[in-house]
Amino acid sequence: MSEVLAILYAKKNILKHQILSVKDESKLKISVITISAIAIWLGIFFGLYEGFEWLLKFGSRSGIEVNIGELLMARMFTLLVSAVFLFLIFSNVLVAFFTLYKAEEVQYLLHAPISFDKFFLVRFLECVVFSSWSVAFLGVPLILAYGFSIKAPVIFYITALVFFLPFILIPASIGNLITMFLVLIFPRLKLRTMVIIGIIGVVFLFWYVSSMLRGTRISEDTILPVFVSATSRVQSPLFPPYWFSEGVLNSAKLNLSEVTFWFLVLIANAIFFPYICTVLANYIFYPGFSELQGGGRRRSKFLGKGLLENIDTLLKWLPHPYQPLVVKDIKLFWRDATQWSQFIIFFGIMAIYIANLRNTTKYFEEEMWRSFIACMNIASLSLILATLTSRFIFPLISLEGHRFWIIGLAPITLRQILWQKFWLSVMTSAPFTVGLAVLSGYMLQLAPLYYFLTVFSVILMNFGLSGLAVGLGALYPSFEEDNPARIVSGLGGTLNLLLSIFYIALVVASQTLILQWRVLQHFTSPQIFRWALGGVIVFVSLLTFLAVFVPMTLGYKNLQSVEY
Amino acid sequence: MIRTEGLTKIFGEKVAVKNLTMEIPRGTFFCFLGPNGAGKTTTIKMLTGLMRPTKGRAFIGGIDIQENPVEAKKLIGFVPDHPFLYDKLTGREFLKFVAGLYRISEPEYKERMEELIHLFELTQVIDELIEDYSHGMRQKLSFTACFLHKPEVVIVDEPWVGLDPKNIRFVKNYLKEKTRSEELTVFMSTHTLGIAEEIADIIGIIHNGSLCAFGSVEQIKALSDKPGNLEDVFLELTKDTDEVSMRDEK
Repeated sequence: MSEVLAILYAKKNILKHQILSVKDESKLKISVITISAIAIWLGIFFGLYEGFEWLLKFGSRSGIEVNIGELLMARMFTLLVSAVFLFLIFSNVLVAFFTLYKAEEVQYLLHAPISFDKFFLVRFLECVVFSSWSVAFLGVPLILAYGFSIKAPVIFYITALVFFLPFILIPASIGNLITMFLVLIFPRLKLRTMVIIGIIGVVFLFWYVSSMLRGTRISEDTILPVFVSATSRVQSPLFPPYWFSEGVLNSAKLNLSEVTFWFLVLIANAIFFPYICTVLANYIFYPGFSELQGGGRRRSKFLGKGLLENIDTLLKWLPHPYQPLVVKDIKLFWRDATQWSQFIIFFGIMAIYIANLRNTTKYFEEEMWRSFIACMNIASLSLILATLTSRFIFPLISLEGHRFWIIGLAPITLRQILWQKFWLSVMTSAPFTVGLAVLSGYMLQLAPLYYFLTVFSVILMNFGLSGLAVGLGALYPSFEEDNPARIVSGLGGTLNLLLSIFYIALVVASQTLILQWRVLQHFTSPQIFRWALGGVIVFVSLLTFLAVFVPMTLGYKNLQSVEY
Repeated sequence: MIRTEGLTKIFGEKVAVKNLTMEIPRGTFFCFLGPNGAGKTTTIKMLTGLMRPTKGRAFIGGIDIQENPVEAKKLIGFVPDHPFLYDKLTGREFLKFVAGLYRISEPEYKERMEELIHLFELTQVIDELIEDYSHGMRQKLSFTACFLHKPEVVIVDEPWVGLDPKNIRFVKNYLKEKTRSEELTVFMSTHTLGIAEEIADIIGIIHNGSLCAFGSVEQIKALSDKPGNLEDVFLELTKDTDEVSMRDEK
């Protein structure tokens, strides 16, 4: 058996045992995850299907012979594929750093007589699977919705499947290559140079995104030409998502020669990119890996400098035992570049969101739309918050890992440890999200009632989502795993994300319902509306109470039963 | 069998290993001693090809590990202090995987695997998932995997962690016997000076990145003004570390 096959053999067996071990998981957990996953999948499918149907109807009413809706759908399809492409590059950069350099098995594998290109190849394949499975899961409803709405032939679905596999290899190669270059270059740079490069990168990204948003503001009267012109950026034949879209869209029209052409373009590149990566890995992987081995010593000279490094003094006012625990969590977070770099990206998302709100409401004079936008704003803000808590707070207990005995044996109760994580979550995420709620309310020029509901809901959800993340993190810890990204993508992490979405949906739906009824004048008097509003506030408060205390209690009980 | 020429590793301004030159002949049991942070792990990483030296070269069986890592690694077996094993594989699946990494033919590894499983007393647990193994069992499985491809050089980093006295004796005797019967070269980094004194043919002491002593147990002991046991000599040769750390504490 070759080295590559040996590693794939091991991976296959690991997967087999992991699947078999699902039967030992809680039945409730598996049922909730399965049902929620199906619900989300169906939700995406029907949402997209309805959207595509609406576009087709909208296009056929434009009075032009050609259905504009079809053009818009094709552009949107390419736009979505482009977004997936960029997401895959980014996700591969992060996953590759762990898979190629930081995973525990890397050192073990490199002790064996396996060449760097073969080592890279197997780790690359793992990277592809790990970073792309969610795209496959969410891509299926997109393809089905698109196909059903245009009544595509069977070959459309087969083409999408056949094109998907070579397609994901291209962003994966680009992502892996970026990681290898970053690891090769960054440890050799001085801190000041790194900061300058980082700032230039962030400024460029914001400039690019805001320039794109200027062109696509939905409230412009000239929406169609602007949209078509803005989306023409993704219509370049040199851009891989275009190859995928062209091939798949042509298959719907049974344009088989076009399909074959784009498939050949795609497959040629899907061979070329990983090949180039594997060849380059022979030269650039090992110098970077070797350099990274001594990284700790180089970093040590920066320790003890800067605001966050002196956080102990700043947080001296915190009572025992919370101060040392909070300081430890903040320092560990700050010193893990993969963690805070993702955190910065969330800031970017927030900034883009705020930038996109400019002048939006002045085009919506109707009260129904204004109240609907206010509710959608609450949903968007809470989804950003849920992403923060799911990605950064949920893994906190698991990240204690093999070190759990240190705090487990200290004269601190488990309950105190759990509540420390909870308050850390609330206190760190609230300033960002409540600030964002205030700012977005101002930008949207919300009426006082909507403004109050926005801020109130976000404050409340800071507690609810933190409770869910910390409680479920303790209920389903992965002490064996050191990589937060992998902890989050496990069964417990998925359950947390799904329950968070469910909680948000209940909060937002109850408010939307009551506000829409008011606008549609279903309440016979303002007095009844006030009572209904009071009822909704009590309902979401109770829901939040449950979202905090049920998972926290269950998590606490689970931690008590864990052997350290 | 193991040769280093001016092996040096510098991290920023810190010299972790300084101009390490030594030669360990085939069939030798070599114990590498040194205080914490002396440069033992860095040396092992350079010998096993995990880290590129800043200067100098390391040879395994005459092969430069940097120039021809794959060929050099075929000769090496490595046992780390905290063994990494795939928790979701059974012991047998793990050994099959290792056999694949070293390209051992199926009949050969099957025969060898059964022999080693029996020898390291893993028969009862070999088909269970590794996540259910105790630390000692993991360490024994790690030894089994290390010997599967019949290495000519075994590099062992503090192997006694987690082993009970019976197994410590077994591993000690097994390694020693292999150096005699099959001319295996053992490079063992350890803090257990008693064992080093008992089984080492050659001892090397590294201190602040420099090799400060190299020779047989008797030769090392003779370096002290008042020759006693190895522990006394070791503490005398490396004493300025303690003095420095005590000064720092003050």
